[in-house]
This record gives sequence, structure tokens and C-alpha cells, in this order.
Amino acid sequence: MTVLQVAAWVALGFVGLLGATILVWIWTGRINLNRVISEPNGDASLSRLQFLIFTFVIATSLFLVVASQPNGPGFTEIPQGVFMLLGISGSSYLVSKSIQFSSDEGIKERPVEVVITTDDPTLKPGETLQFNAVVKRAANQTVTWSLEDPAAGTIDAKTGLYTAPRTGPASDTVRATSVADPDASDQGQVTVVAVKGAAA
Amino acid sequence: MILKPELTGSRHYIMPAIGQAANWVVLGFLAALGATLLAGMLNGQIETRHLFWARGGDGRMRFSPERVQLLLFTVWAAGGYLAQIPQAIAAHKLPDVSTQTLALLGASHGVFLGGKAWSMLSRQ
Repeated sequence: MTVLQVAAWVALGFVGLLGATILVWIWTGRINLNRVISEPNGDASLSRLQFLIFTFVIATSLFLVVASQPNGPGFTEIPQGVFMLLGISGSSYLVSKSIQFSSDEGIKERPVEVVITTDDPTLKPGETLQFNAVVKRAANQTVTWSLEDPAAGTIDAKTGLYTAPRTGPASDTVRATSVADPDASDQGQVTVVAVKGAAA
Repeated sequence: MILKPELTGSRHYIMPAIGQAANWVVLGFLAALGATLLAGMLNGQIETRHLFWARGGDGRMRFSPERVQLLLFTVWAAGGYLAQIPQAIAAHKLPDVSTQTLALLGASHGVFLGGKAWSMLSRQ
């Protein structure tokens, strides 16, 4: 094997490793593609998606044809129709963005949103329940939990573990407030029923 | 593994193993990346909220048939082009895009952009 061939294998190995690293980072979340087709305001963009589809298809096709050349890899003539296709796709994308960015609604990021994912529960006195919440459009998923009426049970501010009071009935509002944006919060209702025969 | 040259009389390049390996590496990467993007869109990891919705003249979000038709034409055109790839590889030539396909795509984009522009003008 010549030095050139060894170098070629080393280069190929590096490219392969780089590609594999990129894919692993995407799969593990280190490279975040959540908003690959999103606008600044968080909405998905169809003009971006169609542009992505056509460039991916044309690039893959070109690679396959280039690699299949009988005299070794070499560029092939690109038909006019392909240029026109990419022109239509790209121009449409540009015009679409121009229209969208002409108003604030198309640019401003939608606010952080908190959603309590635990359904409004009904508990017996002394029971515990784990409340959960999701924070949308914020990397920090931490929320602070609180009760409107501190006498109607207790809730761990960090974990969201609610403990019903020892006597019912009771009803209270549970609030989850985003640490990333204190203006973003959600609330749910918890109800504690009375148990027959229990001492008040 | 080295491919044997075809006995056609003309000069043919014997693709070394590294060329084949490079093919597989790049194709594998493109296929994995494409599958990752598609899976991400289908399982919600890639944000697709309001993909088929648009802001109407009253400022409220509404379902947008213009976007649906654009995606359908895009998938149709891209799928049709990909279907020509096996023949293109055999012919060693990138396939062209027909005038009919270009006209339909152009019209589809026109409908999409027209709807978008109309909504913007209605809000002003």
C-alpha cells in the first residue's frame, strides 16, 4: 500500500469519525435540531422545510451520480431544470421570509410557557402526589411550586411533591412558576375529600 | 475488494476499495441524517408547531390549505426526482426536472406566497 493510499484511508477514517460524531451528538441532544425549521418566533416554517427537502434531494442525487462516473469520481453536467428547481425553491423561501419579517409577529419569540402535566387530582387526607410541569421555549425546565392557601396542605417548592392536609375537605390552587421567566406560570387545582368517620 | 474493469474496449477506472468505502461512508451519513430529521419531525423533537397554520387577516392563527398543497407538491416533486436516481446512476448523468413539474411547483409556490401576502396586507 502506498503512502498516498494510507493517507487516503486516514482521511476517510477522519471523515467517517466526524460524521459519526455529528450523528451521535444529534441523537444525544448535544447538537440541538429542535428548531432547524423554526422561525425566530418559534413557529415551524414550511418555506424552510421545502428548501431543506429540495437541497437535500439534489445534493444526495449529485453525490450518487458523481461517485458513479465510469472514469472515477468527477463532476457531471447539472441540467437547467435542476437550477430552475432550486431557484424556485430558494426564491420562494426569500420572498416568504420578507413577507414574514415585515411584521413584528413574524419575528418576536413567543413567550415562555409553563404547563402543569398532572391532571387536577382528588386526594384523601394525608395522601401525597407528585406534580409535574413542562416549560416550553426555555432550556431551563426548573419551576418553583407554591400553594395559594398554605393551610390546605404543603408542597415542596423544588420537587413539586404535594402532601394533603390531615383533615378534609379542602381545595387549593397549585402554581408552577418558571425559573427562566418568572412571568410564566401555570396553575392547577387539587381537591382533598373528607373521609367518613375521621376526626375533624 | 477491487472491481474488475468492464471489457468494453474503452478505458475504465478500477475503483479502489477506498472509493467504495468513501461511497458507503457518505451515503450512510446522508441516510442517517435524513432519517434522523424525519424521525425528529414525526416524534415532535423537531418543532413543527403551526407548520400548516398561518396568521390570518384578523391576526389569529388559522389552518392554511396553501401550506398543505405546497408540502404535497414538494413531496411529489422530490419523490419523483429520487425515483429517477437508479437510471441516473446507470446513465452517469443527473436527471433533469421536466417543464411540467417546474410549472406545477411554480404555481404551488405562487399560491403559497399569494396567501401569505394577502394575510399580511389584510392585517395592515
